[in-house]
Amino acid sequence: MQSLDCDRIDTMEQRLKRNGRIIAWLVCLLFCGQGITFAQNALERVKQKGELTIATDPQYPPFEFMENGVLTGFDVEIGNEIGKELGVKVTFLSLEWAGVLGSLESGKAELIMSGLTITEERKGKGYLFSRPYFLSGQTIARRKGDTSIKSIDDLKGKIASVQTQTTGQFALQKLGVPDDKIIKFDLLQDGLSDTRNGKSDATVADEPALQYILKQGYPELELVGGVFVEENLGIAAWKTAPELRDAVNEALGKIIADGRYAKIYDKWISEPEKAARYKEMFDTLEKVRNAGTVTADSAGSGKSNFWRGALPLLFNGAKLTLFLTFITLTLGIPAGLCLALLRISPLLPLKFLATTYVEIVRGTPLLIQIFIIYFVFPRIGLSFSPIVAGILALSLNAAAYICEIFRAGIESIEAGQMEAARSLGMNYVGAMRWVILPQTLRRVLPPLTNEAVALLKDSSLVSVVGLSELMRVGKDVAANSGEPTPIYLTVASLYLCMTLPLTFLVRRLETKWQPVSQENRVKK
Amino acid sequence: MTETILAVEGLHKSFGSLNVLRDIDLQIHEGEVVALIGASGSGKSTLLRCVNRLESPTSGTVRFRDKVLTNENVNTIRREIGMVFQRFHLFPHLTALQNITLAPCKVLGLSEQEAERDARELLEQVRLEAKADNFPGELSGGQQQRVAIARALALKPAVLLFDEPTSALDPELVGEVLEVIGELAKQGRTMLIATHEMQFAQEVAHRVVFLHGGEIHEQGTPAELFRNPKQERTQEFLARILNR
Repeated sequence: MQSLDCDRIDTMEQRLKRNGRIIAWLVCLLFCGQGITFAQNALERVKQKGELTIATDPQYPPFEFMENGVLTGFDVEIGNEIGKELGVKVTFLSLEWAGVLGSLESGKAELIMSGLTITEERKGKGYLFSRPYFLSGQTIARRKGDTSIKSIDDLKGKIASVQTQTTGQFALQKLGVPDDKIIKFDLLQDGLSDTRNGKSDATVADEPALQYILKQGYPELELVGGVFVEENLGIAAWKTAPELRDAVNEALGKIIADGRYAKIYDKWISEPEKAARYKEMFDTLEKVRNAGTVTADSAGSGKSNFWRGALPLLFNGAKLTLFLTFITLTLGIPAGLCLALLRISPLLPLKFLATTYVEIVRGTPLLIQIFIIYFVFPRIGLSFSPIVAGILALSLNAAAYICEIFRAGIESIEAGQMEAARSLGMNYVGAMRWVILPQTLRRVLPPLTNEAVALLKDSSLVSVVGLSELMRVGKDVAANSGEPTPIYLTVASLYLCMTLPLTFLVRRLETKWQPVSQENRVKK
Repeated sequence: MTETILAVEGLHKSFGSLNVLRDIDLQIHEGEVVALIGASGSGKSTLLRCVNRLESPTSGTVRFRDKVLTNENVNTIRREIGMVFQRFHLFPHLTALQNITLAPCKVLGLSEQEAERDARELLEQVRLEAKADNFPGELSGGQQQRVAIARALALKPAVLLFDEPTSALDPELVGEVLEVIGELAKQGRTMLIATHEMQFAQEVAHRVVFLHGGEIHEQGTPAELFRNPKQERTQEFLARILNR
């Protein structure tokens, strides 16, 4: 491989000699760039770029969130101070939580600052943690006055919502709460809405975040039981960047020592009673200076175990995805057909209703429709379980698209077919049923397959209501592994394994129904 | 005098500002074969389509025996009025046999065995018994049109309408279709045939009706109309079409 590259460089250089040395240099850089970067360590690379990229999930006040369109919060200000210490510009990369966790391995970011808890498990996955920079802990949010929940132990046998792949989820799992009783959301706020709507009994999350968010807009909820697990938040670097981690530790030390930390702390976490505890924490910071050191060995070990655990999870996710798609098609195809018949019907009010429905559903994002059905409908007394809400949203959405497929299909049938049927004494309904629709079905098969395949993939959107379909499981497993690439490739192949048989099956059907297309050929 | 099967009275049809048919009066008696001739756009097709109400008349009436056609009774009366289209309009998803049995089964409620027995007889009549299980796409144009004729006959209609039944056919296939229609005429079927085949009209029709500009310009026996047309327009039309 290497010699081949060199040959190419040589020939390129020869060819470009006349155009001067600069171009040749550029070409060399292009081919050798990879080597040069590997020669440096992560810290040097950051300094050379003059830019430090920090991944964060900006939905987590008071640590990181959007205020008037600007990313702000505790982590953001601390991160900027660290950048100043390193002499580089800080760029925050906003990602979903799962994306944040995978951002180091993929090289999208050099650091994670996202209210990330230091855990042994994460260290084993390849994250290098800075010294702790925040003492946090898990607590419980319940509906006001729900005295059946007083402490974490009361959550056994209840349904609890969490943000997916957070220490809140891990704490519940450690407690022995079964997985189907833990509803996982991409957003902590969605988990809280779920509890407010009475679908979950409680939400478990970081105490400072819950404090802040509840104050902002969940008057129906309250915190209970205090902090049941104390946790340290840390800044994570990837296992290949120990120098960067060390530099971050040094910077944190300075920021804490010269009082900048205290100022930022007061601004975002204004709880005087906690001050004493944080003083304590600063003292321990020095003691745990090397927390998070991890050897390559421990990160690599257990890899086969991990796959053994991950595959059944992914298969279960795929099963749910198939189930959702199947049910949605079973409901959506008849519904779409009915809508199409209304759309072409001569009865104007029905036609208008069907057209309005189609335009509204097609014109708004599926994600919002899922949100409305799951989070808004309960407020008018229509409460659905996640699976029912998911199926309902997908079916209602698919029906609109399928309606248009059928309408176009029906309108593509020659007017003469209807006339021939009517001239034989059939009424409109009979002509539709015996003559037009059988031909339509054959014609809409390709676009309908297209829709089914799209639906199979779109079904991943129902993960926002906590359904563990394939994409969600994939994200979770990927986030958990620290190395998302192989997981995502596996997820992609699982999707292919589901879509390919579908398209194959339909091609067989199309061949079976050949006579129709022959007719078209003869008629020209 | 034999019974009047179809009576068109004061029929007007316009599409927007375009008057396609004007003041048409036409009667067809039992056992009569009437040929409808005229240039393209003279209103032949529209007249046929008004007769079985695929188009509803702007004004005027169509009577079948003693019943005036309305939107309410049209489905029942259409069983009595068979129609054969220029472009066949066979149902492409059904075999020749199924094309013929569909209406008897679904409209008249015949059992499949009964309908199939009748259909095979009809296929024999149009000399296509061997093609019963072929799909329309597998048949030539002439064969398709003969299946379409059998399909129209399956409801045992009192009158048959033909809308230029050979105009969409390759010349070598015209003969086989005309032959079948000729046999129907010999059997004494009542038929109204729009056609460009003057030779054929002359041979099978009892009466020839010349349509021009949406009006009936002249009518009479083939002998009168073809040998001795009275109207200038008729003469012009015949001269043009016969010298082609």
